[in-house]
Amino acid sequence: MVRVADHSAPAAGADGIARTPTGRLAIAARIATRSAAVVLLLVAWEIFARSGKVTPFMLPPFSAVVVRIYTDAITGVLWINLGLTLYRALAGFLIAAVAGIALGAAMSRLRPVRWFFDPIVSVGFPMPKIAFLPIVMLWLGVYDVSKIAMVVFDAIFPVVTATIAGLQAVDKELLWSARNMGAGERELMWQIALPAALPQILTGLQVALPIALIVAVIAEMAMGGYGLGGAMMGASRFADSRGVFAGIVEIAIVGYALIKGLAFIRARLLAWHQEAEERS
Amino acid sequence: MDDQAQIVIDGVTHTYRPAHGRAVLALSDVSLEVRAREFLALLGPSGCGKSTLLYLVGGFLPTEVGRILVEGRPVSAPGPDRGIVFQHFALFPWKTVRANVLYGLERQPLSRPEREQRAQAFIDLVGLGGFEESYPSQLSGGMRQRTALARTLAFDPSILLMDEPFGALDAQTRALMQTELLGIWRRTPKTVIFVTHDVQEAVYLADRVAVMSTRPGRIKTIVDTRFGDRNPSILRSKQFVEKVDEIWDLVRVEAIKAQEDTAP
Ligand SMILES: Nc1ncnc2c1ncn2[C@@H]1O[C@H](COP(=O)(O)OP(=O)(O)O)[C@@H](O)[C@H]1O
Ligand SMILES: [Mg+2]
Repeated sequence: MVRVADHSAPAAGADGIARTPTGRLAIAARIATRSAAVVLLLVAWEIFARSGKVTPFMLPPFSAVVVRIYTDAITGVLWINLGLTLYRALAGFLIAAVAGIALGAAMSRLRPVRWFFDPIVSVGFPMPKIAFLPIVMLWLGVYDVSKIAMVVFDAIFPVVTATIAGLQAVDKELLWSARNMGAGERELMWQIALPAALPQILTGLQVALPIALIVAVIAEMAMGGYGLGGAMMGASRFADSRGVFAGIVEIAIVGYALIKGLAFIRARLLAWHQEAEERS
Repeated sequence: MDDQAQIVIDGVTHTYRPAHGRAVLALSDVSLEVRAREFLALLGPSGCGKSTLLYLVGGFLPTEVGRILVEGRPVSAPGPDRGIVFQHFALFPWKTVRANVLYGLERQPLSRPEREQRAQAFIDLVGLGGFEESYPSQLSGGMRQRTALARTLAFDPSILLMDEPFGALDAQTRALMQTELLGIWRRTPKTVIFVTHDVQEAVYLADRVAVMSTRPGRIKTIVDTRFGDRNPSILRSKQFVEKVDEIWDLVRVEAIKAQEDTAP
């Protein structure tokens, strides 16, 4: 019997077993148990919405919302809104990631930089950055630039703090050992300290990603226009309750997909790490 | 001692001043000379400053009181002339065995094929052939130790600083590694400072054993432990057993003192 490698099988820990029929069953069973709660919730939603206790305006049935999402997908509206929200969230996230890691590295290496930014980060992190929205709108308008700026402004904090904490925790023997082999300051940072801090930096990015999506949607809601957030506000204004609930379902799916995607990247990047071993 | 000393440690005192907490006097007025191609064991109870002394010779910590000369020049920074093998291996966990060993070679004036060849030669030397593409997290303690040893030997330091390198290994692997180290040392003579708290290991491997006192660490005595030929058979010879006993007596006194020190 010739077996074809199944590339669609989930990657995590499933390498060997995914190819046997019983293994595939086991994985299906695991996915089923893990999503049971969500399925249950959706079924309850459907039953409750059809029970007559609420009007379809207050709570449209889940099936009606699915149909609505499907029609939006056919007409193309869904893809425009989805694409714009994803673009704003991910562009902001990437800028926050690069700038946050750079700032964190500079703060942990250079005393004056630390002296200047440390209090700003301490005050800024717990602050609700959304309060700056009116100012950002005044300065940058209501288009992509201001929305992305809000995302960066919010998502950068967990990246900075995770980078600093990660760099601080790097084993000094690791740095010494590299210096012993002739590494200079620049090499120490790029080749040793940052890779060693990568697990923690990735954790920071995993915190920043949902923040990026949340802020992108909120900014869209506040500023209007296309995008999942703006579409929901528009639907609400026109008393289109199916449109509002469709937005909620779409955002939930996008958020879940983004988080899973980053977790997948993490597992790839940290293949060398013990946590990769432990999972399998 | 004599003018051939390759490493001169002269009146070195070291105090740790942590940002939080009290200052710790780790070494007090330590003087020691090591000749070229000598194998010196540094023996003492835990916490007596053995690692600290090694870090100072390695140039990882600044010498504040006293002076340390290597080949006549004061130590000011780490350098590839003094290769260190850390107690916890300090391997780069995101690099494979091969990449770990190559790291030190990348900064040497060697062509790429020369580097690859040299790395492979040292991986084979420590018996890790076949594990070149493994990550440290996939290796046993003994194999990690071998990787660390290969990585340091590969950039060919004339001085080898080893901090309890076999401390984490089981008895069998340890015996194997000791023999292997002696073999390597015979083939490519190097000056070795070998930190251990195992008396038998010290006597077996070293030309001389420097016994340190408890904190603040000082050199208490230096015992000559040169025997005819080092092979596992001497471990049972009368001469060897007596030497071990003699040094044990010296160490025991310090160990007891160290215990009293830490007792409340
Ligand atoms: N970074 C440090 N800060 C403060 N005290 C330290 C530091 N490193 C070591 N010490 C103290 O210095 C003493 C000597 O340590 P060490 O050289 O590691 O001893 P050994 O290697 O012989 O066990 C110990 O009492 C230890 O607690
Ligand atoms: Mg030590």
